[in-house]
Amino acid sequence: MKKALNAIGNYFKNIGIAFVKGDVWVKLSAILMGAGYFARKQVINGIIMFLVEALFVVLCVGYAAPNLAKFGTLGTVQFEQVFDPLTMTSTVNDYDNSFLILLNSIIALFLIVVFIMFWIANMKAVYRLQVRKENGEHINTFKEDVQSLFNEKFHITLLTLPAIGIILMNILPILVLVAVAFTNYDQQHMPPNSLFTWVGWSNFKSLFTDSVTVTFGYSFRKVLTWTLEWAVLATFTTYIGGILLAKFINNKKTKMPKMWRTLFIIAIAVPQFVTLLLVRNFFADSGIVNTFCTNIGLTDFLKNVGLVPANLSYIPFLTNPGWAKVMIVIINIWVGIPYQMLIATGVLMNIPEDQIESARIDGANPFQIFVKITMPYMLFVTGPSLITDFVKNINNFNVIYLLTQDVYVTSDQLLANSNAKEIDLLVTWLFRLTNEYYNYKMASVIGIIVFIICAAFTLITFTRTIKGDKEEEFQ
Amino acid sequence: MKKTINAILRHLVLLLLAVVWLIPILWLFVTSFSGYKGINTSHFFPETWTLDNYAQLFLRSDSIVQYNRWFVNTLVIAVFTCLISTILVLMVSYTMSKLRFPGRKSLMSFSIILNMFPGVLSMIAIYFILKTFNLTNSHIGMIIVYSAGAGLGFLICKGFMDTISVSLSEAARLEGASEAKIFWKIIIPLSKPIIVYTVISSFLVPWGDFVFAKLMLNSGIATDWTVAIGLFNMLGKSMIAKYFSVFCAGGVVISVPISILFLIMQKFYVEGITGGSVKG
Amino acid sequence: MKKKVLATLLATAMTVGCLTGCGDGAAEEPAAEAPAAEAPAAEEPAADDAAAEEAPAVEAPATAEEGTDPVANLIAATTGTVTLKVWASEEDQDLTTKLLDDFKAAYPDVTFDITLGAESESTAKDTVLTDVEAAADVYAFADDQINDLVNAGALQEVVANYTFDVVNENATGAVEAAAVDGKVYAYPMTADNGYFMFYDSSVFSESDVQSLEKMIEVADAAGKKIAMDISNGWYIYAFFQGAGLELTLNDDGLTNTCTWNAAGGTDVAQAILDLTASNVLVDMNDEDMATQIAEGNVAACVNGTWRAETAAEAWGDNYAATKLPTFKAGGKDCQMSSYSGYKLVGVNPHSANVGWAMLLAEFLTNESAQTARFEARDLGPSNLNAAGSDAVQANPAIAALAEQAAYATPQRVGGNFWSPAETLGQILASGNPDGTDLQELLDTTVEGITAPVE
Repeated sequence: MKKALNAIGNYFKNIGIAFVKGDVWVKLSAILMGAGYFARKQVINGIIMFLVEALFVVLCVGYAAPNLAKFGTLGTVQFEQVFDPLTMTSTVNDYDNSFLILLNSIIALFLIVVFIMFWIANMKAVYRLQVRKENGEHINTFKEDVQSLFNEKFHITLLTLPAIGIILMNILPILVLVAVAFTNYDQQHMPPNSLFTWVGWSNFKSLFTDSVTVTFGYSFRKVLTWTLEWAVLATFTTYIGGILLAKFINNKKTKMPKMWRTLFIIAIAVPQFVTLLLVRNFFADSGIVNTFCTNIGLTDFLKNVGLVPANLSYIPFLTNPGWAKVMIVIINIWVGIPYQMLIATGVLMNIPEDQIESARIDGANPFQIFVKITMPYMLFVTGPSLITDFVKNINNFNVIYLLTQDVYVTSDQLLANSNAKEIDLLVTWLFRLTNEYYNYKMASVIGIIVFIICAAFTLITFTRTIKGDKEEEFQ
Repeated sequence: MKKTINAILRHLVLLLLAVVWLIPILWLFVTSFSGYKGINTSHFFPETWTLDNYAQLFLRSDSIVQYNRWFVNTLVIAVFTCLISTILVLMVSYTMSKLRFPGRKSLMSFSIILNMFPGVLSMIAIYFILKTFNLTNSHIGMIIVYSAGAGLGFLICKGFMDTISVSLSEAARLEGASEAKIFWKIIIPLSKPIIVYTVISSFLVPWGDFVFAKLMLNSGIATDWTVAIGLFNMLGKSMIAKYFSVFCAGGVVISVPISILFLIMQKFYVEGITGGSVKG
Repeated sequence: MKKKVLATLLATAMTVGCLTGCGDGAAEEPAAEAPAAEAPAAEEPAADDAAAEEAPAVEAPATAEEGTDPVANLIAATTGTVTLKVWASEEDQDLTTKLLDDFKAAYPDVTFDITLGAESESTAKDTVLTDVEAAADVYAFADDQINDLVNAGALQEVVANYTFDVVNENATGAVEAAAVDGKVYAYPMTADNGYFMFYDSSVFSESDVQSLEKMIEVADAAGKKIAMDISNGWYIYAFFQGAGLELTLNDDGLTNTCTWNAAGGTDVAQAILDLTASNVLVDMNDEDMATQIAEGNVAACVNGTWRAETAAEAWGDNYAATKLPTFKAGGKDCQMSSYSGYKLVGVNPHSANVGWAMLLAEFLTNESAQTARFEARDLGPSNLNAAGSDAVQANPAIAALAEQAAYATPQRVGGNFWSPAETLGQILASGNPDGTDLQELLDTTVEGITAPVE
C-alpha cells in the first residue's frame, strides 16, 4: 500500500521537477506538446505530438464538450415527434438520448484521462531530452525511436492492439455498467423515448431493502446463497468425479482405456446449448423420462415416499425447487466430468511412480495412497484451474438458463416480486432483469456485486501464482 | 476367479456410466431421423424413420430455416474470430511471459480480474458501442464481439510459453536479434501446440454462443443468423412442435466437425490448463 | 443523424409545398410549420387533442374533397428507394411475403426495398424494447404488449387512415385493444388471440363441457387429462375474474388495482386447489400441450387458436371447441372469464418512412389481407366484413371464441401482474405444498401485483 502511494507520489513529483528545472522549451511543451522535440531537432516526433494534441482538441470541442455538458443531467429534451397526416411525414425534435450521453461522456472522460497521462509522459520525456542534451548524451533519431519499439519497447508494440480491443469490449462497458447503477434507467425511463437521470445510491439501498413490494434484499440473499452453494457443489462434484473416473479408466485392469475415454468425450463435444436444450426436453414434465418413470411405477413410488407432491402425475424434474436444484447439479456433473477427467488423466500420468511404489511397499492401501499422494499432487497442479472453475460456475449462465428458461416457475412469492427464481444464479437473475424487465439499474447493481465477488476470489488465488516464483521455474 | 468377477464388474460399471453419458446424445441422433416433427414423449426410438429432417435443413430453405446460410455465416465469423483472437492472445502471452517491463505484474493481475467479468453483464453497453459504429446486425460486429477482448484470455498460453527455455532467446539476443525477431523466429515455432489449442478453442466460440448473437443480430432476418441462433429459435414456443426433429438434425450436423476439432484440441487443453507443468 | 433526417424531412415538406402549392392552403401548412418543429417540445397539432376526447377516434380516410390527397403527396415526395423492414411471426412468413409483393404492385411508381424478418408476435416486445431504433418499421405483436410499447414510444399513433377506416371496419373490441387512453396506436390484424376450451367430442358430450367439475369426472373415467396453463397469469385470471374479483390497470398506465384477496378470493383459490387435486386438470404449458394432445393423453385443454391445428389433427372429426366451462367456488357456479386477445400491427415512430410504413400496415390488415390470413391459417379476422363471411362463421375455434367473447375482457394490466400471478398459479397447481394460509397467500400476491412502480 505504502509502496503504491510512493509510486503515485513520485509520478507527480517528476512533473514538478520537469516544470521547475525545465527550460523554456520544456515549459512551452506544456501548451504546445511538440515544442520540446523541435528544440532537440526531433522533428517527426514533434509533428506527431503536435498532431496528437490537435486531434485531442478537435475531439474535445466536437465530441467531448457537447456530451459532457449534459453529463450532469443526462439530457433534458424529451423525444417529440409530430406526424403530419397530410404529407404523411413526421418531424422529430433534436432530443437527448440519456444512454448515448452517458456512453459518450464516459468515452470522452476516458479519452481525457488517457490524454492527461500522455501529456505527463510527454513532459517527462521532453525534460529527459533536455537533460540528455545538457549532459551531451546521444539523442535518438526518429529511426532509432521506431527501432526501439521492436526491442526494449517491444511490449508497447505488442500490447497496443490487444489493449484497444480490451478497452472497447471490456473496460468501457464495465464503466458504463457502473455508471448505470447510479441512475434510474429502467422500463419507465428508457431512451430514446424517455430520459433517465442520476439517483445516487438509491439502487444499492433497494438491493438491501426488505418489504413486501420491494423484495430485492430478500431475493438477493437467497440468490447469492444458492449461487455460492451451486458454485461449490458444481466445482467439487465434477472435480472429484473427474479424478475418480480418470483413475478408474487409467487403472491397469481396465481394457481399452482410450475407447472408454473417447466415449465420455463425445458427450461434451456436441455444443453445450444443443445438449442442454435437449436434456431439458428429455426431463420435461411430460417428457420421455417421465413417461418411462410412470410406466415402471417409479413416479407412484416417489409419490408414496413423499418426494413427489401428491397432486402431480409426473416427476417435476425441472419445475419443483428441490428437484430442479438437484437435477441441475446432476446435469452439470454430466456436462463437467468429462472435462475434469481429461485434465485429471493428463496430470495423473505424471505422478511420480516411485512415490506410489514406496508407499505401497510401506503397506498403504489404495485409499490412503489416493488421499496422501494423488490428491495433494492433483491439487498442487490444478489448484489455480480449480479456482477458475469456481468463478466460472458462479457465472455459469448456460446451464441454468438453458435448463430452466420458460419452464421453471417460482413458487416463492417474495422472489416473484423481484423477478427472481429459486434456481437463479446472480447472472441469470441479472440477465432476466435486463432482457425481460428492462430493469437496467438493478441489473447493474447486481453486476457490480458479482464482479466484486469474483474479483475477490480471483485475487486471493492468482496473487499467489503471479507473485510466486513459479513462472521462473523453467526459465 | 475373484479377479475375473472383479474385471467384469469393473467393465460393467464403465459400460453403465458410458450409457448414461451417451443416452441424450443417442436420443439426439435417433430423433434426427424421426418422421414425426414434434417431440415424441412415449417412445425413445422414432416410430417412422426418415431422412427428411436433413433434407429440410439443406435443401428446403424457408424464411425460418436457412441452415446453409447459417453454416456459412458461422464459418466465416469463426474463421476470422480465431485468426484475430489467436494473434491477440499470442501478442499478450509473449509479452507477459518473456518480456520484463515495469508494471507487468500489476497489469497481469488487472487483466485476470477483468477477464472474470462475465460477458452477459456488459452486453447492452457493448451493443450500443457497436451501434455507434453501425456494426450491429453485421458479421463484422460479431467478429469484433468474439475476438476484440481475446487478449485477456492469455493465461493458458502464457503458462505454456513460461516453459520455453529462456536460454534460446538469450542466445539469439546475443547474436543481435531484435525482440520482434525472437518472437517470430523462436517463440512462435516452439509454441505450436498451444497455438493449435488457441485456434481451435476460439474457432468453437461462435458455434456455441446464442446470447450475444441474438442481441447483435436482431433484424429478425433468418439469413443473417448463426447456427446457434437458428437452432435456438427452432425450440421457441410456436416452433417446437413442428421443428424439434429438425433441430436434432441440425444439432447432429454441427456436432460432427466440432467433435473432430474437439478431439484434436483436448490433447493441448490438458497441457494448457495445468500451466504447462504436465507434458502430455 | 437526427439532423440529417430533419433536414430531409424539411426538404420533403418544402417540395410537397411547392408541388401542391395551389391547393386550399392546407398543403402549405407543413412547409410553414416544419421549421417550428425544430424547437424543443413542439406542440401537438390541435386536432389531436380534440380526437383524444372522444374514445378511440381517428381521422376518417382523407378524401379528395379535403383538397389534397396525402397518398398522392407522399408518392410525389418520394424520390429514392423506400426501405422498410417488416416483422411477422414465423408462421406468417409465406402469407406476408405474398402481401408485400401485392403492396409493391399497388404502388408501381415507387421503388421499394422491403425486407421481411421473423419475430413471433408473442415476443415482439422483447426485441423491440431492447432497441426501438433498430426495430422493424412495421411489426406484428399481441395486444397485451401495447401498454409497454406505447410507454416506450415504440408505436406511432394512428392519427389518420388512408386506404380504409380502421376504427369502423374493425370490431370494437379490437379497436379498443389497439388504443391506449383513447388514442389508437395500432392496426388490428386478428381477433383470435384469446383462449377458450378445445375438447375431444368422443370423450365429452356437449353438456359435459358446461362445467369443469363434470368434465373432470368424465375425463377421469376415460383416463384422460384436461390441460390448462394454470401457472401463468394470463390463464389464472379466468378463475378470479370469473368469480367477480377484479384486476384493472390504474390511470397511470403502470400500476394495477387488484381485489383477488377480497371476500370470495379464498374460495377461488380453494377451488383451484380442489380442481387440480383431482390430478385430472393438470397445469401444463403450451408446448407440452402440443405434444400431449398429439400423444392422446389430453382430451381437453384451455388454449387458443394457435393450437387449433394440433387439436384438429389429433382428434379428427371429434375435434370441437367451445366457451370455457363454469367452476364451483364457495358453493356457487362461476362462469370462467378470459382475456380477449388480438394481434395487432404497429408502426415504429423511429421509421425513416413513417408514411409508407403506415400505408403498409393498413395494407397488411385490410379486409382482403385478413381474409387471406383466415384462408391460409384459420386466423379469426378482426375486420367486420371478413369476420362475417360464412367460412369464418363455420370455423369451430372462432365460433368458440365468439361464444366466450361475452365473458372475455380486454387485457389491460401493468407489468407487475405477471410474476406474482404466475407464482400464485404455481403454488396452487402444486397443491400449496407449504400449507400457507390461503388469505395470506392472496394478500402477498395482491401486494406484489399492486406494487408501486417508481
